[in-house]
Amino acid sequence: MEQRFKSISQKRRFWQFPWGYKESFLISFAILLIGFLIEYISDGKGISLPGWPVNLFIILFFIVFLIITSKYVKHPIIKWVSSTQAAISSISVLTFLILLMGFIPQENQNVIPFIRKIGLSHVTHSLPYFLCSFYLLIILGFTIVRRFLPFTIKNFAFFLNHAGLWIVVVAASLGSADLWRLNMQLFENKTNFVAYDTRGNPFKMPFALKLLNFSIEEYPPNIALMDNKTKTLKIKKGDKLIDVTKDKITRIGNWEIVIDKYIESAIKDSVGYDTSSNVGAVPAVYLIAENTQTNEKRKGWVTCGSFLMTPEILILNDEYSVAMTIPRAKKYSSEIRVFNNVEDFTDIVIEVNKPKKVNGWNIYQSGYNEKMGKWSNMSIVELVRDPWLPVVYTGIFMMLAGAVYLVWMGRWKRTKDIHTDS
Amino acid sequence: MTWLNYPFFVFLTSGLWIAGLLILLLPKTSKLRIISDILLICGVLSLLYFTVYLWISLERPPFRTLAETRLWYAIFISVIGIILFYRWKLVWMLSYCLFMSILFIFINYLNPDTFDKTLMPALQSPWFIPHVIVYIIGYAFLAVSSLTGIKGLYLLSKGKSVEKTIKLADNIVYIGFAFLTFGLLFGALWAKEAWGHYWTWDPKETWSFLTWMVYLLFIHFRISKKKNIRSSLWILALAFVVLLICWFGINYLPSAQTSVHVYS
Ligand code: HEM
Repeated sequence: MEQRFKSISQKRRFWQFPWGYKESFLISFAILLIGFLIEYISDGKGISLPGWPVNLFIILFFIVFLIITSKYVKHPIIKWVSSTQAAISSISVLTFLILLMGFIPQENQNVIPFIRKIGLSHVTHSLPYFLCSFYLLIILGFTIVRRFLPFTIKNFAFFLNHAGLWIVVVAASLGSADLWRLNMQLFENKTNFVAYDTRGNPFKMPFALKLLNFSIEEYPPNIALMDNKTKTLKIKKGDKLIDVTKDKITRIGNWEIVIDKYIESAIKDSVGYDTSSNVGAVPAVYLIAENTQTNEKRKGWVTCGSFLMTPEILILNDEYSVAMTIPRAKKYSSEIRVFNNVEDFTDIVIEVNKPKKVNGWNIYQSGYNEKMGKWSNMSIVELVRDPWLPVVYTGIFMMLAGAVYLVWMGRWKRTKDIHTDS
Repeated sequence: MTWLNYPFFVFLTSGLWIAGLLILLLPKTSKLRIISDILLICGVLSLLYFTVYLWISLERPPFRTLAETRLWYAIFISVIGIILFYRWKLVWMLSYCLFMSILFIFINYLNPDTFDKTLMPALQSPWFIPHVIVYIIGYAFLAVSSLTGIKGLYLLSKGKSVEKTIKLADNIVYIGFAFLTFGLLFGALWAKEAWGHYWTWDPKETWSFLTWMVYLLFIHFRISKKKNIRSSLWILALAFVVLLICWFGINYLPSAQTSVHVYS
């Protein structure tokens, strides 16, 4: 009897400190629900974060708040807020929310209205997402401040991982309001200084761009069998695409196909195709196909066509023809002259994966007129300005360093293990 | 060398590994151990030989299609299995790794890729190889950790001690998780370079982030005061399901139809 009485009196009641998993999960899912509710009431408008300099003040205030509170407030809630239970609850709700996002198509117009209203069609700028991330950042922040001292190697690795993540999330989300991503279309030998955002709003740039030259390097084309009725290439997984520069003789089914001639860039004339570098010229092959069973022979030119010329195929029989695939771009690049004013200009070359930095803006090669292919005289560039990038990168490199430590040490022995692992 | 030569290496590697494993299962003599070591390593070398020649003949790194990814996965998981075997002497771990590896090379044998040589411009980046390699290593470690977890659940159901097993799982998760972090961050740095933004919540990005979060959950659950071994093991199993969706399932999800990452 006495034994029983003791165990009851020692048992912690719900909401009695120190809080454990129950309280933590209740709080985190309450936050999620509140987020859904507010989003629903505001009709799924989402949330937009303030830009410079308000975002900087918010961040500084946040940091000062974390340090002051964890230093001077002696309430069990401050202990809870840096506990693993709280951490697990916050990671769980955010995971849960992103899991929903992983299944529901985002930014899709034909979504069930209710889903849109509670923000699930645009999770990353919805209120529930914002609140859950904020909750995670508070817990992560308090954890970092509590563990920052004493300064040991182990704590330093802890600091790199946790503070790195904190910095990345804070700078990437609060900095997103200062992020500019604009598109500009450039035509050869024309100058342009107006760029558009994704919604189509025009912006005057502080500089003008002139496209001097746009060029594409292509992979050699392939030939393949085409179904005459459906006009689709008959390529199964595992089938070989025929490279016109390498495979001189190939067999497809009963047909032996010989590539007699290959012209990289050709124009049709009265007898066939001839080398030319005119606009609209196409790669062309002269094929001789022979059916090994019936000894039927077919000969003729095959091209993939261009915006000026119709494609040509070689008809083998009622069912099949040989056709050429449209060559794929290997790389494309733009030579651009950047004008700060009429006299002051610099020339740059941009390529996919190789942007250039101009006056605080990064200029990316984004696209071109795909219909015209290699004859495109238009280049689309993306202009990106991201003043918070150095901060995000600082966080990323801290996390990378922290991860190196994890690889090196595996799970390091913690002092706590001695008490809890038995 | 192309995929046409592949069947030979499939059978050579599988044969070497199976022979090596069988010798290990025999009553041990030190002489036989050396033979099995040699067989196991030769199996890896045979796959590696094929891959290097494939790389040369394709004139681009073979990291693009699902089959090529599987090839690397097969190599790394077998290497990790062998390393773990020498470190901890766990025959079941080795068998599992080699089985997974053989499974992957056979999937490739039965379901080969198109003989596609082209690489779209956005993939021609110095970030491409490290990004994919660290992911593959990370996935391999995490796959192994999940098997360790399943072994733990089995031992638990038999009422045996799981202390050692879960400690091993912890270590492997830490290493795998670190590689996953590398993969995520390399991907972000690369995306910034190629597309102008480091994170766009593309479905593949969403799912790899989810995978990362679930393992993060496991790590923190394991260090928390009120941990429960059975729940830890279940989290580990669940994490593997998320990882599998991220890796294979993504191509079939309705939310992923516009992904830049869906393999051709
Ligand atoms: C980059 C991501 C993260 C990594 C690699 C990581 C890793 C770790 C590791 C290895 C520990 C044990 C360290 C030790 O005690 O020596 C730990 C502890 C902890 N982490 Fe994380 N973590 C990450 C993110 C987070 C997040 C997002 C939160 C909270 C929302 C969090 C909260 C905590 C807490 C509360 C502890 C316990 C600290 C203590 O008891 O002193 N961590 N983390």
